[in-house]
Amino acid sequence: MEKFTVELIVSNHYGVLNRITGLYARRGYNIDSLYVNETENPEFSRMLIVSKGDEYIQTQIVRQLSKLYDVKQVTLMATVKR
Amino acid sequence: MKLNGAQIVIEQLCAHGVTTVFGYPGGAVLPLYDELSKNTHRITHIITAHEQGAAHAADGYARTSGKTGVVFATSGPGATNLVTGIANAYLDSVPMVAITGNVAVPLLGKDSFQEVDILGITQPIIKHNFVARDVGELEYILNEAFYIANSGRRGPVLVDIPKSVQTDECEYGDLPSKKMPEHLPVPSLEQAVNAIKGCKKPYIYAGGGVLASDAQAELMELSKRLCAPVGLSMMGMTAIPHDYELNLGMCGMHGKYAATAAQSECDLMIALGVRFSDRATGNIELYRQGCSIIHIDIDLAEIGKNVSSDININGDVKDVLRKLLTLLEPIKNEKWLTRIEELKQVDKAPQSGDFSPQSIIETVSCFCDDDTVIATDVGQHQMWVMQYYPFKKPRVLLTSGGLGAMGYGLGAAIGGCLAKDRRRTVLFTSDGSLGMNLNEIATAVSLELPLVIIILNNGVLGMVRQWQGMFFGARYSQTTLNRKTNFAALADAFGAKGYWVNSISQLRSILENLPTSCPAVIDCKIDMDEKVLPMIPPGGSAKNIILRR
Repeated sequence: MEKFTVELIVSNHYGVLNRITGLYARRGYNIDSLYVNETENPEFSRMLIVSKGDEYIQTQIVRQLSKLYDVKQVTLMATVKR
Repeated sequence: MKLNGAQIVIEQLCAHGVTTVFGYPGGAVLPLYDELSKNTHRITHIITAHEQGAAHAADGYARTSGKTGVVFATSGPGATNLVTGIANAYLDSVPMVAITGNVAVPLLGKDSFQEVDILGITQPIIKHNFVARDVGELEYILNEAFYIANSGRRGPVLVDIPKSVQTDECEYGDLPSKKMPEHLPVPSLEQAVNAIKGCKKPYIYAGGGVLASDAQAELMELSKRLCAPVGLSMMGMTAIPHDYELNLGMCGMHGKYAATAAQSECDLMIALGVRFSDRATGNIELYRQGCSIIHIDIDLAEIGKNVSSDININGDVKDVLRKLLTLLEPIKNEKWLTRIEELKQVDKAPQSGDFSPQSIIETVSCFCDDDTVIATDVGQHQMWVMQYYPFKKPRVLLTSGGLGAMGYGLGAAIGGCLAKDRRRTVLFTSDGSLGMNLNEIATAVSLELPLVIIILNNGVLGMVRQWQGMFFGARYSQTTLNRKTNFAALADAFGAKGYWVNSISQLRSILENLPTSCPAVIDCKIDMDEKVLPMIPPGGSAKNIILRR
């Protein structure tokens, strides 16, 4: 399985982290590491989520995350082979 | 203009064209209901017997009218009772706005009386939800709610409004309604056109996305242009008239033989607004074999999710088909058409008995016209309606597809009937399903709705029993109900008209003399061992369709 990182720009609002992690949990994808901080614009936060999965899982995660109202931008970062 | 939160809700509903709301009052929505009482000239509120019924009614109203279904509920149990209705709307992509009250802002998060975290509870089964903790946000939030429910792939949105926010005041009227987004641009169709030109045995698989984008005419034209038979998902059932010669009917586990067999023999499948549900595909590997797939859907996340497709087109089905049709010449393949005709013959099996589900459904259909809304509950009777009811026009079927929620039908029929100016509406249900939410008969009686409720009563939980019979050694665990309910008398007790029939001639004579201003409940006793066939066993494919007992 490949490790991969998703970078998200999301609304900086209570409950948003729950929506993101809930989406991973519901589809059975484990989160290996998670990093969140406020951007220079306090309306938004930046998240980095590291997870494991093949190309199918990566595509699904990116597309499902893109549907969330609070998610403004999704970027799939370069993957590292394990 | 200074308004309080409750007034803002009413103004926003009117601004979004809402005229009918379903719901149930309670402590945390007192200010909202007080305001509603001053606006009866603008908004009709339908009080149901249970919030679940209200949510299903809003769903049925939305599916029939094409408008947004709106439902109100109080905090705590009122909100949790909406959950099944919201999940149902989510899985079937129905636009709905649910408005719940909650405890006053200072009491939030303190396990106050009738407080639940309805945002957390509904999060996985909803497009989005909001809480308005400040009255100043309410106008914006409600604008967003209607926008989200209706943009892209439609679905439900919930807005939670604490009681104190309903009475707090702020300036209202600064924000214009949010305009719907432009449709996605239609991508290049070159690959699709080439695949279609090169195919010998095209097959169209059409689903709810065709109805959502109002692409029935384009679907029909595509089918005629390519001489391509059409198989339907349950959500796509009414996208094409039943008597169109290339309409093969519903695909999948309990679909028509021809719809599934033609799919397994085609060399190109054009999938329109479908999500390849497991009930529709059976064994994915076998389903996928032997054909190329062009998948057209508005939701990018559906493309490649359940079935990998060869050509992916992310866009509105109608927009894509319109452009595609400008690029396609007519194709005709007599051999394929002959084969389709052969497959269709298999579905023309004789009926099982005089008072069979098929004959009951066909008899009822003779008393309906093309615009009659048909609602169903969930189980065997639902599949029989899909197989035997002759649907001619779009959006007249209300059925719980993705969630398969028993108890959906009665609420949905009430909503559908109201959306059609109280025209006669038919609900096909069963003793099991009706038992789940039959309290809504009271609602239909109060509203004097001319519903016709046909109970296909076999005394058992038929679909589960069928599986137990076929796959669990006929150990009928907890599916023989052995209830003594007299549905006809029960209907009378509710103030409806109840009937009990055991022959087609009796059924006919009742249908000829239906009451016009109250529901009729017609209890039809059928054999408990009637099966839904054809059937693809779980994990099976077109090769192992069970046709007969």
